[in-house]
Amino acid sequence: MIDVRVWLLWALTALVAASSTRNPLYIVLLLLVVALVGVFWAPAHRRLPLAPLRFALVAVPLAAAFSGLTAHLGDTVLFCLPPWLPLLGGAVTLESLVAGTINGLTLTVIWGAFAVLNQVAAVHELVRLAPRAFRDAGLVLSIALTYLPQTSRSLARIREAQAVRGHRLRGPRDWLPILIPLLISGLERSTGLSEAMVARGYGAVSDRPQPLPARGLLALGLFLLLGGWMTWLFVPRWAAGALAAMIAGGGLVGAVVWWGGRSVQRTTYRVHRWGWRDVGVMLGCSLLLLLVLLPLGGQRTLAYNPYPLLAAPPFDPLVGLGLLGLLAPAAAAPGPRRPAA
Amino acid sequence: MGRMASGAIYALSAAMGILAFASPFLTAAQTGTALSGAKAALAMMALIGLSLVALLIEMQGRSLDARTVALLGVLVATTSVLRFVEVILPMPGGFSPVFVPIILAGYVFGARFGFLMGAFTLLVSAMITGGVGPWLPYQMYAAGWVGMTAGWLGRAGGGNRAMAARSLAPRHLILLAVFSFAWGFLYGAIMNVYFWPYAVGSAEQSWAAGIGFAEMLSRYAAFYAVTSLGWDLLRAIGNVVLILLLASPTVRVLQRFRQRFHFAVQAAHD
Repeated sequence: MIDVRVWLLWALTALVAASSTRNPLYIVLLLLVVALVGVFWAPAHRRLPLAPLRFALVAVPLAAAFSGLTAHLGDTVLFCLPPWLPLLGGAVTLESLVAGTINGLTLTVIWGAFAVLNQVAAVHELVRLAPRAFRDAGLVLSIALTYLPQTSRSLARIREAQAVRGHRLRGPRDWLPILIPLLISGLERSTGLSEAMVARGYGAVSDRPQPLPARGLLALGLFLLLGGWMTWLFVPRWAAGALAAMIAGGGLVGAVVWWGGRSVQRTTYRVHRWGWRDVGVMLGCSLLLLLVLLPLGGQRTLAYNPYPLLAAPPFDPLVGLGLLGLLAPAAAAPGPRRPAA
Repeated sequence: MGRMASGAIYALSAAMGILAFASPFLTAAQTGTALSGAKAALAMMALIGLSLVALLIEMQGRSLDARTVALLGVLVATTSVLRFVEVILPMPGGFSPVFVPIILAGYVFGARFGFLMGAFTLLVSAMITGGVGPWLPYQMYAAGWVGMTAGWLGRAGGGNRAMAARSLAPRHLILLAVFSFAWGFLYGAIMNVYFWPYAVGSAEQSWAAGIGFAEMLSRYAAFYAVTSLGWDLLRAIGNVVLILLLASPTVRVLQRFRQRFHFAVQAAHD
């Protein structure tokens, strides 16, 4: 198995890669890589990547149609819409359709990568990613996730009970006798839960506000982030100073998170040990990030503009090889289980 | 001193959130901005995330006692079930049943509870419906604002006295309906802004550096009208219908529990 933090890094790397290029060849390659990883890590009964395929079938034609109907740029005119149509009137060009298709494919890559993350990461693993300083927020999340199945069962029970009384769902007003009992039963459960929490001493420690120095540092960190950001936006010649301020601000916020989490104990039932799979995926992601973010030779091929006249997009084998770094989880996928003898 | 630090954290986080969503409009007024393209999007996402982190640390440190934690957890679970229903049975356009519970919870329990309810509802529902992605921090922030402003509305509309009545007065019901109608559009308009500068479209609807604030607003309005107005209109109408149907009994139930939960023991004076 691969650590959920490594999966998160993989999804974020796919996001960075997809956001950094407009070259359709690279985007299609990314799409294939993401789909392959999804196939390799899918449950045995669901091998086909149907969800990303469904998303692509909606997103790509919609994006292409939107761009084709509203962006009247490009030299290859396919047909013309009457000019009196507001916003839509004008020439529909091949170039604008291609630009829209590229948008749709980029969206599909980002959506597909996070669909893989959602598929492989269990909800409790995602909750555990929260830093220890978010003890209360994590508790709220845990309660909500624990009560979800109960709430669904309550909803079904209330519907059955109302149906036995002859209640039928015909319009929005008919939901009232179902939703209000659902709300009341949830609130009653929360009363019992909070009493149990207080009885176990929860309120004794959670009413404490953050220590003043920590709050001061948090405010200072936010001030540096905000100041640095505004400087970067509005005074580009001070970009280096702005970047330093933002890094310092981010560091201060991070330090407060670490400080706040020191007193919180977290126990683990089963510790995940890092293995060759985790290291391999991290190396693949690092390779891709280096190629995309650093000004190396092939970086200029990431850019592509279909306007004014459609031309073949460039392709750098080195960049293509780097994008294949995202395939690492497919290579690290567990093999099919053999049936027990 | 503590109140000052707390106020500064709230104000700075809010300013960062507003700046993140508004930066395309602000940077459009000038040329030569240092941030552009994918780097700007990633930097914005990181900054939004950090400001959300700071806000959550401050909020959970001040107000989350056992009753609030339990109530928030259960209400988030109930609202997330509605989101699940929405995924199984697609609703028309942008209509979603999750906004009305966020608005009503904020209206009854206050701005801080409303913000947390909005942010956590979007987080939990994203986890259970497979909606975790780069858009999530923005959704959490925007839904948090829905709940937070509903809390301000509750305060402005007469606070507890108005809600303690057996049913919501027509004036408050209309106020809530107008509020939810407006947020139906605002939520879509806010959520569009973060990706709009990177969307490729016609020149009359696209972001460009150095074109001035008024021109930028006009282009965004055209983009919004073409891509989102119809979608958001259905969300706004759905919100109003749900508010008119559910607000009065729901507020009554929530208010009753609020009175049970939030009582203060006062020492007897001789």
